[in-house]
Amino acid sequence: MLEVETTVRGVLRDVLGLSDDRVAAFEENTPLFGALPELDSLAVAGVLTEIEDRLGILIEDDEVDGEMLESFGTLTRFAARKVLG
Amino acid sequence: MIEPYDWSGGREAMLRFGPGSGPVVIAALPLFDEANRMRAFAVTVLRTLAETHGIAGVLPELPGTGESLVPSERIAISDLRAGFAAAARTAGGRAYSMGMRSGALLDGSVVIRHRWHFAPQPGDALLRALRRIHRTGDAPGYGGHRLPDTFLDELADCHVEPARTLRLEGDTRPADRLVAGSALWREPAPANDLALAALLADDLAGWVRACEA
Repeated sequence: MLEVETTVRGVLRDVLGLSDDRVAAFEENTPLFGALPELDSLAVAGVLTEIEDRLGILIEDDEVDGEMLESFGTLTRFAARKVLG
Repeated sequence: MIEPYDWSGGREAMLRFGPGSGPVVIAALPLFDEANRMRAFAVTVLRTLAETHGIAGVLPELPGTGESLVPSERIAISDLRAGFAAAARTAGGRAYSMGMRSGALLDGSVVIRHRWHFAPQPGDALLRALRRIHRTGDAPGYGGHRLPDTFLDELADCHVEPARTLRLEGDTRPADRLVAGSALWREPAPANDLALAALLADDLAGWVRACEA
């Protein structure tokens, strides 16, 4: 889980162009979609693709909704569930 | 230095760095938008390889990409690979590849003695990424590129050849070495990373020397 969290943090930093300090401060309840202006639809596509690449998982379109992208915690838990299969 | 190279479909240009003899590293940028974000970085790696390590390198413009006269509507994996192999033959010497991201799909030629990849992206992963961008509807085609169906069909089965593989820390797939740095291919605006470029050039130089020994 910690490894997945580190990877998701790194993906958000790279795709959204955020500083190390900013992503280091992300917590379970830090809101993402709707709260980060950098996270537009194209950036969402980049985040999903990069998470897929780095964690070796596949994310289907119908799994992507507002809830999954709601907070750092929901996105990380979604990715961790995928990794565990 | 800019030089031409000829392949079966026409003439393209390549940037050349370093000495005119000895081993030569042929670079393949990622395809499409990622190429714009990684071009300056790849040039820095090749320049460092030439100036610090005395190893030659070339960066070919491949058919259907960048400044090529072949439009992206006619892009084909077989042509990209043929162009890459022709650039390697034209560069002379003993050719080694440096494939970054989806550039790692293009060095499957017998002209290449050994392969070196940074964060390689297999064809099916690139296809998923392109389709995802297409569905956002942000730009016409695939992120502004009109791509033929034949190319998209080819991509699904396009594999990466075995190679020395470096990846960024946090990437869980198999790698020979993990390096610290940010994913330049994802940056919202083109950026460079001089420390990472120096590290990659150093790794490439050591690997080329080991292969030559």
